[in-house]
Amino acid sequence: MSIKSCLIAGATGLTLIWGSSAMAEDTSDFPAGPLQFLVAAGAGGGTDNFARTVKPMLEKTLDTRITVINLPSASGALAHQRTANSKADGHTLDFASSTLVTSLAAGQNPTGLDQLTPVARMQSDVMTLIVDPDKYPDFAAFKAHAEANPGKVIIGGTHAASPDRMAFLSFADASGLDMTFIPYDEEGSVAANVMGGNIDGMFGEISSVLSYMESGEMMPILVFAEERLSNFPDIPTTVENGWDLTDGNERGIFVNAETPDTIVDALENALKTVYDSEEYQQYEERVNLHYREGWLGSTDYRQKLEENYELYKRLLENT
Amino acid sequence: MLDSFLAGLSVVLQPMNLLILTSAVFIGFIGGALPGISGVILVVILLPVTYGMEPTQAFMLLTAIYGSTVFSGLITAILYRAPGTPEAVMTSFDGYPMTQQGEAGKALGIGILSSAVGGLVGTIALIVCTPLLASVALKFSSPEYFALAILGLTVVASLGGRLILGLIGAAMGLFIATIGIDPLTGVSRYTFGNLNLSEGVGLIPVIVGLFAVSEVMKRSLDGEVHQPPTRVKVKIFDMPILRKIGVTLSRSSLLGVIIGILPGIGASTAAMVSYSETVRWSKHPEQFGKGAAEGIAAPESANNAAAMGALVPLFALGIPGSGTTAIILGAFIMHGLQPGPLFMMTSADLIYAVFAGLFIVNFMILAFSKPFIALFTRLLNVPYSVLGPIIIMCCIVGTYSVSNSMFDVWLMLGFGVLGYLLEKIDFPTVSIILGLVLGPIAESELRRTLSMSQGDLSILLSRPISATLLIISVVLLVAAIAVPLRKRARIRATASRS
Repeated sequence: MSIKSCLIAGATGLTLIWGSSAMAEDTSDFPAGPLQFLVAAGAGGGTDNFARTVKPMLEKTLDTRITVINLPSASGALAHQRTANSKADGHTLDFASSTLVTSLAAGQNPTGLDQLTPVARMQSDVMTLIVDPDKYPDFAAFKAHAEANPGKVIIGGTHAASPDRMAFLSFADASGLDMTFIPYDEEGSVAANVMGGNIDGMFGEISSVLSYMESGEMMPILVFAEERLSNFPDIPTTVENGWDLTDGNERGIFVNAETPDTIVDALENALKTVYDSEEYQQYEERVNLHYREGWLGSTDYRQKLEENYELYKRLLENT
Repeated sequence: MLDSFLAGLSVVLQPMNLLILTSAVFIGFIGGALPGISGVILVVILLPVTYGMEPTQAFMLLTAIYGSTVFSGLITAILYRAPGTPEAVMTSFDGYPMTQQGEAGKALGIGILSSAVGGLVGTIALIVCTPLLASVALKFSSPEYFALAILGLTVVASLGGRLILGLIGAAMGLFIATIGIDPLTGVSRYTFGNLNLSEGVGLIPVIVGLFAVSEVMKRSLDGEVHQPPTRVKVKIFDMPILRKIGVTLSRSSLLGVIIGILPGIGASTAAMVSYSETVRWSKHPEQFGKGAAEGIAAPESANNAAAMGALVPLFALGIPGSGTTAIILGAFIMHGLQPGPLFMMTSADLIYAVFAGLFIVNFMILAFSKPFIALFTRLLNVPYSVLGPIIIMCCIVGTYSVSNSMFDVWLMLGFGVLGYLLEKIDFPTVSIILGLVLGPIAESELRRTLSMSQGDLSILLSRPISATLLIISVVLLVAAIAVPLRKRARIRATASRS
């Protein structure tokens, strides 16, 4: 049944329609009990907020109870491992950010994409290059300074296998600029060092710098996107500079790779219902995650993750 | 600043928040007075409870508990020579002899008043100094943090006990701190392929194990017996005594604040230093240890002032000044707040409400302590064979809840056994915590500094703040080594003369 359905799905490409009809036939008993969310991050962060926001909505959609457990240790690697070792019945869901694939590429996460099935991506935050506007009024000034002082421009970021380190590496790779990267323990310290003028800039999500933009202490000068964001029409993009860099921090849901396709589809449909709900969209707007479409279905998300993995592995090997 | 404080006060005076503060004071009283349950454990236990609360209320609750546990440790220290918290160890030196002389009420009164005075001085310093420190916080970058961590590490020399043991402890702490994925390069160090170790050894398993678990082991194995107390009448405001301890109170409170502000040094150290200073300045040093009023006033005012002082670097710089504040720091992150140099700017409303809450708490301590002590004399009759297992259970639940990890619980129990063995040889276990807290700061900030300067060490001396801090560290170190050497030489000289 499982192989046959895969073939049908691949042939028709109508995953969603098929999924909903299959759900009616085979997964009438899913969920068979309460679900468990394993959050691959500490309580209070972006991924935790994501999981805790989805929780009541998914409880309503699937008519079940859900418990949330935070497993922040080892950049969430424990959460991935526990998901991969869980019963393959779709009752254990791993809520993870792009750190899953960056730490995998850096060899810090032993649970590969062959052990997990991505169910859906629900958030795609926009990566930006952030500087102190008093130091660099715009990207042209930054670029000119970096070209004139090779190796002297210092970019801060979180740990060595983080999405913002990958943004740094891919940006340096594409632009050919020679810059230095210093990892800090937390985003707050990076921001403090940018504002205090101790370092030249940082890579970060646009959602996290909004309050500083208002006070003029920090300013994004380059967004990783195809087109300029409608809310920030003055900020140039990577693509218009001729660099194909559009990755930001993404957040999605994973299950054990052996989970039957019917259950993965049932989950994907339920999450899609949540994603499309007005309540969820209001949350995305509240936390400034609405600048870009977040949704990617299981198949597309897997393809995206595999591409990212190859890219990050190559970038890390070159350093 | 004053309007921010008044705005905070208006938040605190809402009935719901007053209720939270009152219950926090009582929880803190009970926890602080029960030997083995320290502020650290109480805050850890209550963390999950606060998760559903609003951040302002959650942190009023946690900081109020923190403030009142530091106070209530004195009750059992004075009545039974069984300090309820590590901060109250020095209080038992003169408090217990007073109880033996039938003056328990007087001793408790001095302790309560001194605590409130110290707490108030500390809170005022917190309100006044924190914005000041926060404004210079942006000048702090890697070289300054490195220098600060080095300054903190020099405290090992003044911890008391044998210096060589202190150094060994600090080195142990530094070693434990290197376990895990290197934050700068992503290389695994001493993890042996175990994922549980890749994030490093947490502070909470080590602190809970070394202090709480080892204490329960010690008490259970020593088979301590409690003596039921007779009726105790507490008198807080006593003019002749107040006149006698006035100078001690002001000196110890200020000393407590200063020691508390220095990161990595807690209220216990403040109590010890101010006690020894009070003996040094006293005209009657021979009375100490036999029931001197100043001997209670000094440590109690200092530890409460230091507890508040320890919050200054937490709010201004995002670095914890003591074990409990390290957990409060974690609690901020759990609530999605970003403590650090920007905290005062980004969360001013919350911080001033917390300050106002702490201000009120000091008066609540004065008001509620008398009825509580009366109640407590009965509560303490619970035998240790019942209390001990309850404390161990709290430790396990508290440690597990930090990152839902059974591995941390085993680690914590392991450190409990280690702590018990180390206390047998009078090892200053605090130095391990010092190394564990300051080690990662010193290491990674030094490496960041060198990245910033492209490997040039002179950056440490060309930046005024880091240069100043490093010079102070060197002076303190030299003094710590030279003063005992000179004293020893003088003793030897007098010995040879006679």
